[in-house]
Amino acid sequence: MMNSSQLTPISVGDNSTAAFDVERVRRDFPILAQTVYGKPLVFLDSGASAQKPRVVIDAMRECYETYYANVHRGAHYLSQRSTDAFEEARVTVARFINAGSENEVVFTSSVTESINLVAATWGRKFLGPGDEVIVTEMEHHANIVPWQMLAQEKGIVLRVMPITDQGEFRIEDFEPLLNPRTKLVAITECSNVLGTMVPVKQVIRLAHDKGVPVLLDGAQGIVHHGVDVQDLDVDFYAFTGHKLYGPSGVGVLYGKWDILNTMPPYQGGGDMIERVSFAGTTFKPPPHRFEAGTPPIAQVIGLGAAIKYVSGLGMDQISAHEQGLTAYATDRLKSVAGLKIYGEAAEKAAIFSFTVDGTHPFDIAAILDRAGVAVRVGQHCAEPLMDRLGIDGTVRASFGLYNTRAEVDTLVAAIEKAKGMLT
Amino acid sequence: MSLKLEKFEEFTEALEFIDDEDMRFEYIIDIGKRAKAVEFPIDWQVNENLMHGCMSRVWIVDQPKGGRHYFRGDSDAIIVKGLVTMMTESFSGLTGEELDELDAEYVRRLNLGALTTQRQVGMLAMMEHLKKLGRNGSANGGN
Repeated sequence: MMNSSQLTPISVGDNSTAAFDVERVRRDFPILAQTVYGKPLVFLDSGASAQKPRVVIDAMRECYETYYANVHRGAHYLSQRSTDAFEEARVTVARFINAGSENEVVFTSSVTESINLVAATWGRKFLGPGDEVIVTEMEHHANIVPWQMLAQEKGIVLRVMPITDQGEFRIEDFEPLLNPRTKLVAITECSNVLGTMVPVKQVIRLAHDKGVPVLLDGAQGIVHHGVDVQDLDVDFYAFTGHKLYGPSGVGVLYGKWDILNTMPPYQGGGDMIERVSFAGTTFKPPPHRFEAGTPPIAQVIGLGAAIKYVSGLGMDQISAHEQGLTAYATDRLKSVAGLKIYGEAAEKAAIFSFTVDGTHPFDIAAILDRAGVAVRVGQHCAEPLMDRLGIDGTVRASFGLYNTRAEVDTLVAAIEKAKGMLT
Repeated sequence: MSLKLEKFEEFTEALEFIDDEDMRFEYIIDIGKRAKAVEFPIDWQVNENLMHGCMSRVWIVDQPKGGRHYFRGDSDAIIVKGLVTMMTESFSGLTGEELDELDAEYVRRLNLGALTTQRQVGMLAMMEHLKKLGRNGSANGGN
């Protein structure tokens, strides 16, 4: 029985007419107004972890300075205030993703924990030898290893869906993998390496036609486009606070309440029980059943503030701004001789993995760093994808809502400089 | 800092002379480029010579002779090739006991602000690797 209150979606699809003023937005992020090595910081590593607007920092500071206490059980004023703020954040998250109820929102520490939670509870209970879980070649390790662990423990089989050489997810490559043994589709919504956006609505419809539930790793996807879990009809959706301009240490697992309610607890401890005795223990209903121990209180409150911030800007506006950056960066990067972009799907987020002929990604990234340009280098927690692409690693420039076309120009100039120094 | 290290002094003097951090960076890249011109045989690029835990691959071989250790190093990244070359050239010709005297101060002097903490940690790891090879006293690379 669903224990829900009717929620009104907040401005995920806000069609504010005000233009997206990136220079004004940048002033909301104190960390961006600095120089490194004497050069203006160009932060292009938001795909790893995004910077935080002042409202998030202030919300967490206010929590610690004025009303912090442990939540849910305190019989005093501060605890009540903390509990109210904490649970209000749950409602904010639920509205943002358009969950049917805040009781479908489980706070975790990260996407990694969210997926591990599903594997360790739903997976252990409902999957057995020979049951198949479909993933893609472009998953982050966080959506590979938990299923491999379950494969070792329970004998489930991981079916890996191929991507094209351009990094595209083709629905015609997905559909044949669905078969009577398929018990779960667990895929990324947006590749953290390639930027490829997966046609998740089609995937979910096809999977549901066969009675197969779907888990989406939304770590990258929600940041660029928001999500409407009811419209998608997705069964599980995992995302993290720190990529969504919120604090690190807090993640979310959305699950349909009717599914969550069939799942055993993840970890045992305080806050997740109804009654404990040595004769036996009974557990709370979702979401608290899955939130053992003291939760990341200030981080949850910070995530609530981050969501209100991006909602205030409007996810449509953010998405449009980033799509403009994506198109511009694609053109500019392609103008660099010898630069190869990995991931050229038509539907692509503002994430650019690339290599430059005759150079090592580490060298490029080190020289970009000296130019004040912060990028990531390596395999990006996606070794199987690197094997698929036949490379050791890439440089990755990932853009956020605060990045500008001028920063794309700085990136390109720094790459040209690096080429000059290295070749 | 009691060891007499000709190449080490050459590197540190050059780095001290260059007063611009970007130029020091270029100096390290140039060392890497110069070292690339000398062949590092492909059959030395094997797992047993690979240093683990580096952002790029680093191979170091030891060719001991007359009780002294002579190192060669390689990396697929040119900056790291420069760093590993500074290390192997600086500390070749030492005995195992002398290698054991090396400490973080040597890495600090080879660094001089041109490196991030992460790369400094990488250089410290290289130094520990050289010391380990010195203690093993075995050749795994060549003659």
